[in-house]
Amino acid sequence: MTIWKAPWFWSWAAGALAFAATLLLTDGRNGGDLLSAALTFASFSAIVGIGQMFVITLGPGNVDLSIPASMTLAGTLSLKFMGGDAALIVPGLMVALGVGFGAGVFNYLLIRLLRIPPIIATLSASFIFQSIAIWSNRGLRIKPPQSLSDFTTGATLGVPNLALVALVLAVIAWVILDRSIFGRWLSAFGQNERAARLSGVPIEGVRALTYIGCATLAGLTGFLLASFSGGAALNMGTEYLLVSIAVVVIGGSSIAGGNSNVPGIWGGALFMFLIVSMLNSYGLGAGVRLIVTGGIIIGIVAAASKKGARA
Amino acid sequence: MSKAKFLSAVALVAATLPAAGFADTSDKRIALSNNYAGNSWRQAMLESWAKIGDQAVSDGVIAAADAFTTSENQATEQAAQIQNMILQGYDAIVINAASPTALNGAIAEACGAGITVVSFDGIVTEPCAWRIAVDFKEMGRQQVEYLAERIEDGGNLLEIRGLAGVFVDDEIHAGIAQGVEENDKFTIAGEVNGDWAQDVAQKAVAGILPSLPEIVGVVTQGGDGYGAAQAIKAAGRDTPIIVLGNRKDEMQWWAEQRDANGYETMSLSIAPGVSTLALWVAQQILDGAEVPKDLTVPFLTVTQDTLDEALESTPDGSVANVEYSLDDAKAVIAEAQ
Repeated sequence: MTIWKAPWFWSWAAGALAFAATLLLTDGRNGGDLLSAALTFASFSAIVGIGQMFVITLGPGNVDLSIPASMTLAGTLSLKFMGGDAALIVPGLMVALGVGFGAGVFNYLLIRLLRIPPIIATLSASFIFQSIAIWSNRGLRIKPPQSLSDFTTGATLGVPNLALVALVLAVIAWVILDRSIFGRWLSAFGQNERAARLSGVPIEGVRALTYIGCATLAGLTGFLLASFSGGAALNMGTEYLLVSIAVVVIGGSSIAGGNSNVPGIWGGALFMFLIVSMLNSYGLGAGVRLIVTGGIIIGIVAAASKKGARA
Repeated sequence: MSKAKFLSAVALVAATLPAAGFADTSDKRIALSNNYAGNSWRQAMLESWAKIGDQAVSDGVIAAADAFTTSENQATEQAAQIQNMILQGYDAIVINAASPTALNGAIAEACGAGITVVSFDGIVTEPCAWRIAVDFKEMGRQQVEYLAERIEDGGNLLEIRGLAGVFVDDEIHAGIAQGVEENDKFTIAGEVNGDWAQDVAQKAVAGILPSLPEIVGVVTQGGDGYGAAQAIKAAGRDTPIIVLGNRKDEMQWWAEQRDANGYETMSLSIAPGVSTLALWVAQQILDGAEVPKDLTVPFLTVTQDTLDEALESTPDGSVANVEYSLDDAKAVIAEAQ
């Protein structure tokens, strides 16, 4: 298989082009700064994107719209719990993961027990999560413990710590998707649910784990983002709804499910940051920026889906 | 109005007590129709309303001051909410609108039913309603004005805008553009959308910084200054003068910088307590007072001198606030006449 036929190739190529175009403007200076910023901010998109990718792999109609609300709720509750105390960082992380886990269970129960379509179930669940977040803290920003804040904004050997975390998660996700029986089940589910069930795939277990995993990753992202930006805000997750879906699609995963890849998530996440940086750097207004971003996304998806079919 | 007056909010609340003597509106019920509650500014706005509204009710100035918020920030939903309020027989509806035009039908219906409608912050164009508007353009202009005083040689500015396509963003941006035109020693070297959120602003600024020359000042729209400061720090650049938007974390950061290296800047925004100004204006109209249809909200400005005071009175994680009194409302009305 040649590399440009890989479904994730186009997202990486577009990201690299955007990077090069930005550096053209600075005559090659500050490339390190831009790369480091891109890695940092792409980490958030990559982590929620991985969760969303697993959900989308389940097939048509499967998408988690509660990601922003789960992020906000996990960020709000965990930062409130820690109250700036460095001794509570690990329990605080557990709170965030627990909130995400709980959100995932809730989503799944709505889908399974009430037989609500996932789009409606996760959307209505997100109202509940958001309301709990508002009710619990009234939108007040509580600062993260200093050492946690230093970790999330810091770097190890020149690589942002957040990027390392997201990279490890991406490797784990890749192993699960491409090298484990769960990954096979997931793809089988997405390609044909009925065939998968008849061939003995525990489809309800797969679905439950996927939604729970996605929400748990959203909880983790909320925790990291709130620690990184100096506190949880009620609107902190808003942009990650579209981004989480966009990175999956740009990364070359099939929106119809059953066929996903992890490298594309990182390619898509880096691209989404770099394209905005590039257009900002060239001084284009918000309107032009949105049009160009949309156009490029369509282009990548078209290119990726053509090549992906043969890959 | 003087800054000292704004910042003595608590004292002003006490000043509302003598107003209890008004009997004309004691049986009047006022409702708040609010389109959004998902950020700290709106939360503070609702809290101020509840605090002053409850006080006014227990003092017998009005009979009810109930707040209602729509869940989806949709004009259609808010129009339905207003229709419910008409059926419930409120005497006045105070509204922070999801759209300047889309609610006009519902508002005309309310006016037709003899209900007083007062819009604020998110104002409406329906002529029968009162408008308590923010001069956002002036807010942008004043930032550049301040930078012009501070930076003699001028230089490059970074502009952080709000949510693209929203009226407020266009207005503040126009004000900043006007300010730069008046002070041509400044150039806007870069422009990003921070969506009024610290994390979005931080991300956008981090992305554009590598391509920017030296920046002497950052003009903002509120809720984005701290994120910009974080991004600039992460890039290892000197901190320019960042005009802030009265958020507690921004002011805390400002105080830290001031204590460490004498950093000076200014901060301005609209106090969320503007909802209470609208409440009193509605009460005045119900009371039969002659009130012009267009009123202007004063800015709440924090300066180097008032920073400590503002920090102390602002709850952690919230935004600097004042609650307005009946006398403040009368002053704003008198000013417009």
